[in-house]
Amino acid sequence: MKQSGNVLSFLGIAILTLGISILLILMVGSNVNQAFFSFLSGIFGSFYSVSEVLVKAIPLILTGLGVAVGARSGFINIGAEGQLYMGAIAVTCMAFWLNDLPAILMIPLVILGGFVFGGVWSVIPGFLKARFGISEVITTLMFNYIAISIVGILVRTILKDPSSSLPMSAFLPDSATLPVFMSTTRLHAGLLVALISVVLVWILVWKTPIGYEMRAVGLNPRASKCSGISVYKNIVLSSLISGGLAGIAGVCEVSGLHHKLLEGISPGYGYIAIIVALLGKNHPLGVVISALGIAALQVGSLGMQRMAGVPTSISSIIMGVVVLLILARKSLFRRLLPDE
Amino acid sequence: MDSGFIALVTMYLIASVRMATPLILAGLGEAISEKAGILNIGVEAIMLSGAFFSFIVAFFTGNLFLGLLAGIMGGIFVSMIHGVLSIHCKANQTIAGLALNFMMMGLTSFLFLIVFGQTTTLPSCSVFSEVKIPLLSSIPIIGSALFNQNIFVYIALISIVLTAIFFYKTEWGINLHAVGEHPQAANSAGLNVFAIRYFACFVNGVLGGLGGASITLGQLGFFMENVTSGRGYIALVVVILGRRNPVGIFAAAMVIGFSQALQYNLQTLGFPIPTQVFSMFPYVVAVIVLFLSIGKSIDPSALGIPFERNKR
Amino acid sequence: MALLSMKNICKSFFGKRANNRVCFDLMPGEIHALLGENGAGKTTLMNILYGIYSRDSGVILWKGQEVSFTSPREAIACHIGMVHQHFMLVPTLTVSQNITLGLREKGYPFPDRKALNATITEVSEKYGLEIDVNAYISSLSVGEQQRVEIIKLLYRDAELLILDEPTAMLTPQETEYFFEVLRKLRADGRSVIIITHRIPEIMSITDRVTVLRDGCNVVTEKTSDITEQELSQYMIGRQLNSIQREPIVPDAGREGLLLEDVSLKEKNIKGLDSISLQIAPGEIVGVAGVDGNGQKELVEVILGIRKQSSGKIGLDGLDMSSMSVLERKKLGIGYISDDRQQDGLVMDMNLTDNMLLKTHTEQQFIKGGLINARLVWEDTKKVVEEYAIKTPDLNTPLRNLSGGNQQKLILAREMAGDPKAIVAHQPTRGLDIGATEFVQQQLLQRRSKGCCILLISADLEEILLLSDRIAVIYKGRFMGIFPNTKDLNLSHIGLMMAGRTSEVREESL
Repeated sequence: MKQSGNVLSFLGIAILTLGISILLILMVGSNVNQAFFSFLSGIFGSFYSVSEVLVKAIPLILTGLGVAVGARSGFINIGAEGQLYMGAIAVTCMAFWLNDLPAILMIPLVILGGFVFGGVWSVIPGFLKARFGISEVITTLMFNYIAISIVGILVRTILKDPSSSLPMSAFLPDSATLPVFMSTTRLHAGLLVALISVVLVWILVWKTPIGYEMRAVGLNPRASKCSGISVYKNIVLSSLISGGLAGIAGVCEVSGLHHKLLEGISPGYGYIAIIVALLGKNHPLGVVISALGIAALQVGSLGMQRMAGVPTSISSIIMGVVVLLILARKSLFRRLLPDE
Repeated sequence: MDSGFIALVTMYLIASVRMATPLILAGLGEAISEKAGILNIGVEAIMLSGAFFSFIVAFFTGNLFLGLLAGIMGGIFVSMIHGVLSIHCKANQTIAGLALNFMMMGLTSFLFLIVFGQTTTLPSCSVFSEVKIPLLSSIPIIGSALFNQNIFVYIALISIVLTAIFFYKTEWGINLHAVGEHPQAANSAGLNVFAIRYFACFVNGVLGGLGGASITLGQLGFFMENVTSGRGYIALVVVILGRRNPVGIFAAAMVIGFSQALQYNLQTLGFPIPTQVFSMFPYVVAVIVLFLSIGKSIDPSALGIPFERNKR
Repeated sequence: MALLSMKNICKSFFGKRANNRVCFDLMPGEIHALLGENGAGKTTLMNILYGIYSRDSGVILWKGQEVSFTSPREAIACHIGMVHQHFMLVPTLTVSQNITLGLREKGYPFPDRKALNATITEVSEKYGLEIDVNAYISSLSVGEQQRVEIIKLLYRDAELLILDEPTAMLTPQETEYFFEVLRKLRADGRSVIIITHRIPEIMSITDRVTVLRDGCNVVTEKTSDITEQELSQYMIGRQLNSIQREPIVPDAGREGLLLEDVSLKEKNIKGLDSISLQIAPGEIVGVAGVDGNGQKELVEVILGIRKQSSGKIGLDGLDMSSMSVLERKKLGIGYISDDRQQDGLVMDMNLTDNMLLKTHTEQQFIKGGLINARLVWEDTKKVVEEYAIKTPDLNTPLRNLSGGNQQKLILAREMAGDPKAIVAHQPTRGLDIGATEFVQQQLLQRRSKGCCILLISADLEEILLLSDRIAVIYKGRFMGIFPNTKDLNLSHIGLMMAGRTSEVREESL
């Protein structure tokens, strides 16, 4: 009974979301059937379109995983966006400085560099929270803007490609680019990096004493302290890992996709990451599934715009609506759910 | 003093006040909301909604005041969704705010495309013109900066005074404070915690909507996707810098407004400094201020925590 | 005619009956005790009257009219006021602002503070409740805050004052003073309901008493017509077992738990003031005192949760003054906190994960850097059987267990591995009689195994029952330490709890 109520309530959310989507499509004046067909064919229509879903999912998995790790210890990371950009800065700088290194050394090094840069960008708010109790919601948010501004400054000054008039860096040396799986697609080895990260995070959080401490701190810092678990250490550590993963997302976007640093490499992945983590219930496997779902939504809405003339901003609306409905679920479907 | 210098100062002051106006309005609204314990990081969504609906109505009716009203309604719409989620559904306020940002970003851009289609030239409407206030406007420097401006500037200035009176001189301010600090005590004293929090959300919507409208109907005269471009987030910064004190919010918004005015000016003058140096400024200052306020608890105790009446 | 009568009140929380057809009558101008153990449903009943909880069924008559308050505001409008056990005052507002909070006084919303303050002072002086109206609540003592709460009700002209455990935080002397105030209120024609579980106190002050047990009312009687023994039988339902303590077996080889001149100063407030104490192996030292006189500080300094400003703490000759919490626990200290939900357990984790709170750092439970889940599961299963913890399975979150079972899990965890010392802070708070006896038996069992036990309790009876020696704490200082013998002078202990050493000395001369 309890289980079926839960399932029904989520089904209700799905139906409501579908209804709202239909309403929006009708507002544009498009044919609903055609719109849905183009949405699905935008995702599954070709080998390429499926690969595009995976390409989009890579940064979402990594940033979403980061947000989830932070959330486990009670660190609400709104700053994955900025941490992603810091990772992107790291890979670009390192690639140009170490351009003689062979790929076999270069790739692990830039990933590590991205982890460190992203981690540092997140560990500062983490430290401020753990040591002084300053709310990380606001600090991480502000660090996003600072990071994005730094990228803007760098691509106009020291990292600028002199041969171009646009604010962007030169192409990275080949040794610093991630290999592409199939030449007809853009799908790159970042997917492997993301999936390996998922497994590692799963082991860390659910199987090791460190992960146990993080979860305990997230659920009850006071009891953790009384049991001799350092709240400070665990928040700092989880914020470091959280930002580090987002930093790796930045590395993957630059090394795997754009091959250079430029503004706007992330269309808000770092913010969507929070939704990914929420929908994935802060569990590594859940994060993968929700990241794939949101990536599919975005890719599908592109198809819908191409073929049915529905603006892509519909995907942003749907994301927002789904989250709002989930937040309201317990009130909306009170009759279905057991008393709590 | 050199008259050229005075003219320059005056010019910057005028520009700063204009840049600060949306931030003051939205900042005051957010401060009231936070004082009652509701942290709404969806200010951007409120402003975007205000900007969009004010423009649409002003464009089709040709009446700026109707547009202004629509902007307020748009702000209230978003803020009340957040209110219902935070107060009634006891949801996570941060995530609710974030989701609203996504939704409104998509919705305003979606509706705009539906109404106007893909256009090369942006549809535009007139903006509120300056109204000179006799006597006051002839005060040197400050006069033209504060008293020869459009209606939004005056609304912002009046709002500062009213909010200050509300916070520090009325029983209502004490009630608001009590609800954000110790809702159980407020409830037990016979205050309606839910109603007061909804009221705070409502005011946040009104002021945030006005802030959004001040961008389209006070400055630009047109709407485009993401027209607020992060001003809602800066408004959050303003609230922190101003420590939820109306005068502090005014000061913080002016400092940021000045840096923005400077940024535009240098941009047009073709200085070789990237504008990002300036756009980064408010955030860096905010972080520094947070650093300096270490050890002094300034947040209301119940900020972000839902109130449950029948809780055991 | 009754001023208030509540008939057949029912209320359930999560399917558990908190009130089951409770009836309650109150006459005008009487002081009426609502007596019962923790969890008997006293506070629930009053919260229903006051409009904080909604009732499932039943009728409430106030001055003969049927009423049903949905918020305290409506109750206040009918001149009913309540002081909660945890005070409902906003610490960042002044006394005056707190008292008028929620009222629409003359000039509303622009209050005339001076006039309001004059009225407040007038009310407070009438009943001998002195207070500085401009002080911030955060700067007041517990006793003063209680005064503010009562003035708040009188300012609203409450005809009925409901007081939830009003003496829990007061010294015996403060309590006497407080009773004086109550008598003045009664003389003024007001009625008072006192929610309490302390029988001796109600004998002197109340006119009538109603006893609740397990959510049902057991009896209502004139206080003068009933004895303490009868009341305690009604309240508990059976006779208390008396516990036999064997003499301490001296263990020459061990020094026990040692505190030397331990002081704690935080934010310029002295939490502890040169505490010295040695607990021998196999000894229970009870610390008596009014809540909030440094008890929490004392246990947390011993555990290392807070760092002492000066002094030395040792266990069996080892100096642990600068050790971390973890190091101290590994040395063999078990900790039972007074707040098990906050300090002792992670309520959203299941039983195995809560056992891990201690064991996750122990080598035997770790294999190749990973937690040995199977071993942890077996360990937990063993504990559940040994301590007879009632739970559907090991994956149940602690939140869904009863308070007694939660406490059993803490005991099991903290007593595993034969600790050399146990710090038990209010170990039986909020437990029913059965669970209380279980906990007390466990402590005595540990005692006979040579464990040094520090027992801190606000319940003097519990201290007297279990301790070999009794220390009295007041404002972070030990006022004296006595062996717990039959000829112990209880009034001395009471005076010491109130901080009066000189009088004690004079009397004993």
